[in-house]
Amino acid sequence: MSTYEEEHGLSRENSEDARSASVDRRETRSQFQELFQTFGNNNSEEDVDNSMLLLLLSQMIPASLQQEWMEQMEQSDKKGCSESFIDSLPRIPASKIKEDDSCPICCCTYKEDDHPLVAELPHCNHKFDLECISVWLSKSTSCPLCRDDVMSHKPGIDTSQVELEEDWGMFG
Amino acid sequence: MSLKRITKELNDLGRDPPTSCSAGPVGDDVYHWQASIMGPPDSPYAGGVFFLSIHFPTDYPFKPPKIAFTTKIYHPNINANGNICLDILKDQWSPALTISKVLLSICSLLTDANPDDPLVPEIAHIYKTDRAKYEAQAREWTKKYAV
Repeated sequence: MSTYEEEHGLSRENSEDARSASVDRRETRSQFQELFQTFGNNNSEEDVDNSMLLLLLSQMIPASLQQEWMEQMEQSDKKGCSESFIDSLPRIPASKIKEDDSCPICCCTYKEDDHPLVAELPHCNHKFDLECISVWLSKSTSCPLCRDDVMSHKPGIDTSQVELEEDWGMFG
Repeated sequence: MSLKRITKELNDLGRDPPTSCSAGPVGDDVYHWQASIMGPPDSPYAGGVFFLSIHFPTDYPFKPPKIAFTTKIYHPNINANGNICLDILKDQWSPALTISKVLLSICSLLTDANPDDPLVPEIAHIYKTDRAKYEAQAREWTKKYAV
């Protein structure tokens, strides 16, 4: 009497392979569920293999979405200048603004505004509408025109005073 | 702010159009443009016209525009989805840059690829090891998709 496999031209080995593949899949799924439960239960004293769970999760999230998240994280990490630094930027008096001078950010001529507020960056001396450069410097420290790092020119701290105070502490 | 600046750029493009590039809104949406770049004469893309889509973020120009090729192109820094690997479109963006300047940068990227920062490593490898093969392939794709 022929077997099922013989009648259908199948070898026993092939069907064994198919069976083991489906067992593998089931194992991965149960492994994931197990990890997920352990991960969710923070009180558990078991050593949770977070990296394994993250690996499984990352395989389920599309690559394009992951990249988008990374970009968002990078952008939120970017530190700009402090508000006090932006407020202390030197202003250009209206008398020194020429008729056709325009802001490189909004591309509008300063004189379009009856009372233009124009700020100048230290060192590179590039000029912008105060409103425009304030927005940019709140998330970046580079000049939009020459990429000069405006925060790299901080006035040196006077250390003589610090030393004096230390001396007083030593002898006092 | 973004609307005014985009309108201004559009007017400037109309008044003083850059050679070998053009750009403008697709329909009524000022935040969605289409651009075209002529393949630089001194490159394997010569004779081709490449189309790109431009999407402006609402906080433009403080964030870069999203620019992608819609015409297929064989280039180490441009992938199958048309995404472009160019620093000024990412972390090196500056609010003083304009679409006109960005399109010119893309033109020079076509002439001088940057195989050391590739988006398609396979093409970058061929570019570095067998320049003639890269140029032949780029010319073939140009003829097939951009003429």
